[in-house]
Amino acid sequence: MAGPTAPSSPPDERALPDQVTMGLLAYLTAHAVDEDYAEVAARRQAAPLPRPRRPIGLAGALVLAIFAVLAVTAAVQTSQDSVSQERERRALIKQVKDRKTAVDADRRTIAKLRIETSRLEAEQVRNSQASTGLLAQLSLLRLRSGTSPVRGPGVEITVDDAKDAASERDRVLDIDLQKIVNGLWRAGAEAISINRERLTVLSAIRHGGQGITVNFQAVTPPYRILAIGDRNTLPSRFADSSSGLEWLDTQREVGLRFTMRAVGSLRLPAAEVPTLRYAEPPETTQGKRSS
Amino acid sequence: MIAVIGLLLGVGLGLFLKPDVPIGLEPYLPIAVVAALDAVFGAARAFLDGIFDDRVFVVSFVSNVFIAALIVFLGDKLGVGAQLSTGVIVVLGIRIFSNVAAIRRHLFHA
Repeated sequence: MAGPTAPSSPPDERALPDQVTMGLLAYLTAHAVDEDYAEVAARRQAAPLPRPRRPIGLAGALVLAIFAVLAVTAAVQTSQDSVSQERERRALIKQVKDRKTAVDADRRTIAKLRIETSRLEAEQVRNSQASTGLLAQLSLLRLRSGTSPVRGPGVEITVDDAKDAASERDRVLDIDLQKIVNGLWRAGAEAISINRERLTVLSAIRHGGQGITVNFQAVTPPYRILAIGDRNTLPSRFADSSSGLEWLDTQREVGLRFTMRAVGSLRLPAAEVPTLRYAEPPETTQGKRSS
Repeated sequence: MIAVIGLLLGVGLGLFLKPDVPIGLEPYLPIAVVAALDAVFGAARAFLDGIFDDRVFVVSFVSNVFIAALIVFLGDKLGVGAQLSTGVIVVLGIRIFSNVAAIRRHLFHA
């Protein structure tokens, strides 16, 4: 890029072309006009033409017209592209919104139909006189399995990360919640929910992504655990269970926040009933297979 | 005068016909326009310098447009299309600026 600095051969320097002796930027600036213009002009001066040429002829005007067409086409194309892109974006947004409302409506329909189904079931079972006991059993099973809302006395537990939690060690982990829940079951709890997520036999408390998931729903601290049971004996029996002891040890050691208080009446929501894909009652298969 | 008529005619044609650019050529159109702009400014400066020549203008225009598009095409094939376009734009931009500066000196004697 830099010009030759060695003063060894000054006569040769004259012979070198500008591209070699000048820096790239300097060369670009100095030779902004095509050299052909200068060359042709010099040639014309050396050998005078028979007739003087007009400054800008038809060919020049034609090229200018082509240039204008090119520029206008590029501009039109660009503006058209941006318009169509904007239109596509709008259409996509509208589609997303439509689908969202459709999903919401479907969800409402599902909830409504579920209520309707249980009502019809109850009605049907009530109609047949022989099965009055069955109805009671069904509702009991629903309560135990967590597929119907439940109400009763119990304890309310609030668990949270340690104050100024800096590392994963100072936070409540999925395993801590598992210990508490296991301790509560052992202590005689009949229904448990974590942050309004009812626990069933198919529930999982897992570490997922950024936090903890219960029933595959993300829950965030503070964790509010409601347990229905004998509110007088639950706390002491919890503290006696091995899981409860383990949790209390961890809690004391790390400084996690933990409160437990007895409540006269709690309301727990129903769990969403997962579809059972493989399990089926044995009566239906009895005819085909000997089990 | 004939130059201005040609320019206006071109603008009119472009707006009226709205030629559809083939998808394959679309990426090369903007760079071709910049190259053409360089040729036009160079011609304007040559005109003011008194050394304008029709044939040189036509040749420089066509070769500028063609080579600019070719460089970008090659770059696309080699996977450095964006970088080469930037390089072409920088070089042509510098030329346009210095030509405009020369034109300004001619017009305003400043």
